[in-house]
Amino acid sequence: MSSDDNVALRLDDLCKSYGRIRAVDHLSLEVHSGEMAGFLGPNGAGKSTTLYMTSRLVHPSSGSIEIFGRNVWYGFKSAIRYVGTMFETPSFYEYLSARKNVELTGRLRGNVTDREIGENLERMGLSERQNDKVSTYSHGMKQRLGLGMALLGRPRLLVLDEPTDGMDPEGTREVLNFLREKVRNDGLTVFVSSHLLYEVEEYCDRVFVINHGRLISSGKVKEILAPHDNVIQVAFHGKPPDLTGLIKEESIKNIERLPGELFEFNLADKDSVWLNNLLLKRGYKVSSLAPKRRTLKEFFLSITGGKNE
Amino acid sequence: MNNMVIPLLHNEIAKAARTKLPYFGLMVTSVLCFLIFVVTGAVLDGETLNAWGYTSLSMQLVFTDIGLIFIAVFASMLIAEETAFGTVRAVLSSPLLRWEFYTAKVLTGLLYAVVMSVVSLVISACLGSVNYQFGDVADSMGMIYANKEVLLNFIMAFFLSWVPLAALVMYGIFVSTAVRKSGQAVAVAIGTIYLIDFTKHIVGIDPYIFTRYIGFSWRIFNQVAQGVDYQWSPEVWKMIAMSLIYCFVMFAGGLVIFSKRDLNG
Repeated sequence: MSSDDNVALRLDDLCKSYGRIRAVDHLSLEVHSGEMAGFLGPNGAGKSTTLYMTSRLVHPSSGSIEIFGRNVWYGFKSAIRYVGTMFETPSFYEYLSARKNVELTGRLRGNVTDREIGENLERMGLSERQNDKVSTYSHGMKQRLGLGMALLGRPRLLVLDEPTDGMDPEGTREVLNFLREKVRNDGLTVFVSSHLLYEVEEYCDRVFVINHGRLISSGKVKEILAPHDNVIQVAFHGKPPDLTGLIKEESIKNIERLPGELFEFNLADKDSVWLNNLLLKRGYKVSSLAPKRRTLKEFFLSITGGKNE
Repeated sequence: MNNMVIPLLHNEIAKAARTKLPYFGLMVTSVLCFLIFVVTGAVLDGETLNAWGYTSLSMQLVFTDIGLIFIAVFASMLIAEETAFGTVRAVLSSPLLRWEFYTAKVLTGLLYAVVMSVVSLVISACLGSVNYQFGDVADSMGMIYANKEVLLNFIMAFFLSWVPLAALVMYGIFVSTAVRKSGQAVAVAIGTIYLIDFTKHIVGIDPYIFTRYIGFSWRIFNQVAQGVDYQWSPEVWKMIAMSLIYCFVMFAGGLVIFSKRDLNG
């Protein structure tokens, strides 16, 4: 596999300005082939503008975009033929049936058979109502139809903007599991923007966070969410003990009582093994002790300055 | 890489065939043909008019107002509607280029104008043959123009009538790219056509406005049908030149606007 094939999407020093407002500011990132990457940022951070630029719907002020090594601006057709896209609130010809909408898109993608159209509609749970006009569909059904259309022509890269917006929890889980399976089994690459942090946390391999159009953090989800080494959560058997004596310990910065009879120890320079030994030595009956797990929300809020989506 | 204009045109026809506006336009022009038939039947007889003359009169009346309006409305909605509803984003995320999409839209508009022209002609000619006769153009002194000459002029008038209609379609498409909302695009297209039409004589720009040529070929043919002297040149060349200039400028202008536009909602 060449390095071009290994990188599904490469944004290099991408900028987009609207007058004085810089929507995307020297954004560079690489989404590797066969991974599901989340794209996070507060409202107005530049996520959608970036995604639009990957399909050449928005003209960048400067910078370049490559899809599997092909420049989107100089070889659009050859680059985009590997890409399935779905933008926030997908639009359809509402006076046509879902099947007709898919057929029209399929004709433009060139290599889509009737069988594939039928399979896609079935996979998205729309086969029973495929001949109904899209105007009669609910928001969630339209989202699923948009996703089905993005998957036409067996793309190698899916670019999705809020794909589960408006779906019920069960539908959301089904769709995300399906995408995860496609990534695992077929080597599909997914670049997904979402405001639902748990979706990204649970399903994505890598995450990119932007704010004010700039990439402010990126990395593998597992690494970002690696447990804190020196924030330890402890539960005790029986009645919560008096821990005031422990405060005097130099290595314990503070102890916070959490809901559910849980205590959180913030250590200065020690780890969970040290704390476990200390508690046993002092005669406390520990029922569980583990480093605190980070959440993507916590990570996101910390790097965006507490600005939630 | 395959050119995508044909698949796009295929899609455009499939979409247009499932909307009401094109049928409504054809229905209204057909009704107008019948109204013209009824009115001319009441005021004229077979001695003052022949079927050739009737058909050319009917085509002139159909396309100087109602036909013009429907073609302009249809063309001005073609791109604006896709932009307003966001469907343009889904289409342009496929492996095709903007000029291909734009060209397919232009061809769709031209096709509609041709279909409307053919339908109106067939209905007008059929109705014309009920009260009047096709044949040699003659008066009490004898034959003036032989049937063959009249037919040739008739065919020429029919095809030439498409030239200013093409300019009208290009104008509609241009407005459709410049204005993002379909309702506004229709209002701008129709509003400007009529505003210019009402003021062109006052301002002195009449010779430079393509709409003056919309009934031109049928007017000349009407002279043939009446058995009077007719002359295509040089006015026909002015019509062709003016219409083609409009076609080129509007096509290029619309394409430039559409190609440079950001389509992010």
